[in-house]
Amino acid sequence: MTDAIVAKGLKVHFQTAAGLVRAVDGVDLTVAQGAFHGIVGESGCGKTTLARALIGLQSATEGQVQILGRDRSDWARSDRKGFARAVQFIFQDPLGSMSRRQTVGQTLEEPLQIHSVGDAKARRARVAELLDLVALPATVLDRLPRSLSGGQRQRVSIARALALSPQVLICDEPLSALDVSVRAQIVNLFARLQAQLGLTIVIVAHDLAIVREVCSAVTVMYLGRVAEEGVAKALFADPAHPYSQALLSAVPSPDPRIEATRPRILLAGDPPSPRNPPPGCRFSTRCPVVEPRCRETEPALRAVQHGGAAACHLADANIHAMI
Amino acid sequence: MSRHSQNGPIYEVEGLVIDLYTPTVSVRAVDGAGFYVAPGETLAIVGESGSGKTVMTLGPLGLLPEGVAVDLRGTARADGKDILSMSPTDLSRLRGGFFGVIFQDPMSALNPMLKIGPQLAEQARRFAGLSAEEAKKEAVSLLARSGIPDPEDRYDRYPHELSGGMLQRAMIALALAARPRVLIADEPTTALDATVQAQILALIRQIQKEDGIAVILITHDIGAVSVLADRVAVLYAGQVAEEGSAIDVLTAPVHPYTRGLLASVPDFRSNNATGTKEIPGIPPNQAQLEPGCRFADRCELVQPQCRTHRPPLVKVGAGPVPHRVACPVVMAAEGIVTHD
Amino acid sequence: MKNWPWAILAPAVIFVLIGIFSPWIMTHDPAAQDYGALLQGPSGAHWLGTDYLGRDMFSRIIGGARTSLVAMAFVLMAALAIGVVIGSFAGYVGGKTELVLISVIDIALALPSLVIALALMGVFAGENFSWMSDYWKMIVALTLAWWANYARMSRAVVVAELQQPYIEAARVMGASHIWIFTRHILPHVLGLVVVYASADAGALVLAIATLSFLGLGVAPPTPEWGQMLVDGMSYIEENPALVIIPGLALTAVVVSFNLLGEAFALQKVPRAVRGRFLARKKAARAAEEAARKEVEA
Repeated sequence: MTDAIVAKGLKVHFQTAAGLVRAVDGVDLTVAQGAFHGIVGESGCGKTTLARALIGLQSATEGQVQILGRDRSDWARSDRKGFARAVQFIFQDPLGSMSRRQTVGQTLEEPLQIHSVGDAKARRARVAELLDLVALPATVLDRLPRSLSGGQRQRVSIARALALSPQVLICDEPLSALDVSVRAQIVNLFARLQAQLGLTIVIVAHDLAIVREVCSAVTVMYLGRVAEEGVAKALFADPAHPYSQALLSAVPSPDPRIEATRPRILLAGDPPSPRNPPPGCRFSTRCPVVEPRCRETEPALRAVQHGGAAACHLADANIHAMI
Repeated sequence: MSRHSQNGPIYEVEGLVIDLYTPTVSVRAVDGAGFYVAPGETLAIVGESGSGKTVMTLGPLGLLPEGVAVDLRGTARADGKDILSMSPTDLSRLRGGFFGVIFQDPMSALNPMLKIGPQLAEQARRFAGLSAEEAKKEAVSLLARSGIPDPEDRYDRYPHELSGGMLQRAMIALALAARPRVLIADEPTTALDATVQAQILALIRQIQKEDGIAVILITHDIGAVSVLADRVAVLYAGQVAEEGSAIDVLTAPVHPYTRGLLASVPDFRSNNATGTKEIPGIPPNQAQLEPGCRFADRCELVQPQCRTHRPPLVKVGAGPVPHRVACPVVMAAEGIVTHD
Repeated sequence: MKNWPWAILAPAVIFVLIGIFSPWIMTHDPAAQDYGALLQGPSGAHWLGTDYLGRDMFSRIIGGARTSLVAMAFVLMAALAIGVVIGSFAGYVGGKTELVLISVIDIALALPSLVIALALMGVFAGENFSWMSDYWKMIVALTLAWWANYARMSRAVVVAELQQPYIEAARVMGASHIWIFTRHILPHVLGLVVVYASADAGALVLAIATLSFLGLGVAPPTPEWGQMLVDGMSYIEENPALVIIPGLALTAVVVSFNLLGEAFALQKVPRAVRGRFLARKKAARAAEEAARKEVEA
């Protein structure tokens, strides 16, 4: 079985007025077919840029992306529509990603029209099918996106992405604009769709608890690089990278009794700017267990205890630092 | 480790009704809700967007959304004084000195054209009655206290020169500059990253311990509530569904909405992962004034009387901190008796 | 659109209606001369009197409305089409093409439209353009003087819309450039440009009258308000109505189109939240609440 997505040495740099931003700075990523792959990290770690580069919304400065065994840029150039039928994207802000002048019905029909799928009647049937898939009532068809609730909007944008029956779905923070109880609805929808349609889903998220809940694999990013990756439950149970440990520790428990007694790791300061990442390990400026070598040489990803890989000098297959 | 205080409430709101009007819609944002907070305790007001949590807390202080007409009824007392009948001047003085507010977006409270330090000093001079010299010293120490490294240097920085986490700290320093007795934090960590969120929550808790002030945390983030709150009020569609100590409400919720809300928040530290539960449906349209329980349409336990009679908030349990719930149906089904 | 000041539209609507139905409204042939009735005051036969050639003033005013309306429509449609095409192209393509086109637009905008139109009329007076009638020279000159504003606006809308995430979403769906432009961007461009054009119509009516006043536009005997003004000037002492009537007609139309533009602009800033409004809303709310109490009781 080929992997759904393979990125090698991916770099995305932007030239801004304040200098060169290394948003993604050398990322290798492999997403297995049928995986539900989470990408987590703080703002500025490059997770959104990575997701956008995977589908080509952002052009890569260096490196390659292969999707379903084909070179992404060649594929998108030679067969734009074929690529669109195979790979779809869900945006963070569902309202912004839909034309404010089109009704839900028109929005859902648009991809079908672009790809000349069936006649008007067949398209209407497909739209009805899509509404069923994301559990929306037919009454929303004639409404404008603005008049829908946040959760309904995200359902519409998911339905639109599924209109062409893609194999790979890349989602950029699809949950962050939603309320807690609605977030759970959408997460469950993703999980159901993934099982029902055999999709490969890559989801960028900052809600770690939800990633652990639904994702099979997870990649933790820090300042444009992969800090750690592995099977979600195993990594969350025993994170090897000090940054992953701190990130997980920062998530409060909803139970105040646990919260009152739990030891917490508080990192000092904010993440450094991706404009001038520190030399050596990028986490060295905030790492509580930093050693001199960390400031000099950048650690490579290597196999660690939980079966995944971490980029830390203090971690290998037998032991890793604990903070 | 109850930090519950025996003092009377310092800020108290009762039977508050707030209607918001724009040319196209009329919304009952707060529908007969109330809360109280005592010195030395942290009250978390929890609700989803549109639940009225911000309007309920800040509305009586005259901090309301712009461009809408407001009709506000009920009682609100700060330190025993009725604030709804105050003149705008008195209210503005109270807002500056008695209440300190931390907003979600620090850029909305800090003047981008002025250096951080002088803004703090001005606030300290006006409301804490310090001389210019003292105010500057106070500003530097406030910055240091808010966990800003190298405060003398940051004193002369403009807001845009600070990172998001540092700005939120400067915002906290600004809220503290007038030495408030009630600190209101409106979604203080929503815009921040996980590791920075943890820092800010720890900072607010530390300040609260040191100064013994009352803190009101307005949030939708159950994690933040669990870290900070002594007491919790859960707001749904402008009405209080449940209130009580954080431990009671978060670990033994009674109201179906509270239960649903908590079930939809996964806890990755617990191993009995049962999957994320969801509350079906969406919050009601608050433009329509319907009788009965606002949660009725999404509730699994709904009974016919839920749609006609508004459930009263009644005391359950006999703990030192009153635990109140507005759902007679659950109480009847589970044999919970009133302690009123 | 509920609180829209519709009354403001009245003069503009009347102008358009009169322009369209003028042949049925006119009581006389506006070019027919009657040397037996020169410079007469209002009467049963001539409602607004007659001019120095004995032509019926009422019919000439009504006929002039059609002349202005038709010329205005030609110019607006042409200027709008040119502006939208050039502006949209500049905005969509971007890069050097955009820079060059923006420079052209900026130069055109730097000079007052009427000055450009006058200069072009001067150029068109040359031998090379003798195949065009004066009327068409005026239409072309005004079009070339008027398109730049629409180009600037179209470009701005295109650039703004291109940055919207829903355009990216369309791209992800595999949409072509033509699809994105015609389905998503063009409606926005037209929406704004047409609104602006309706407010711009007054200025154009005035420009047409100005050119005719200067003897550069509509040729006699076609009735035209600007020309009627010039003709009336010589007889201002005998019959001032010859100047006042076309002057008033012109003023009414220009003011009304300007108000129309104002109305469009005002509509975007709903600041109608006032005491009386609040009282009304409160009363409605109180009634609803009484109904709710009744159900609960």
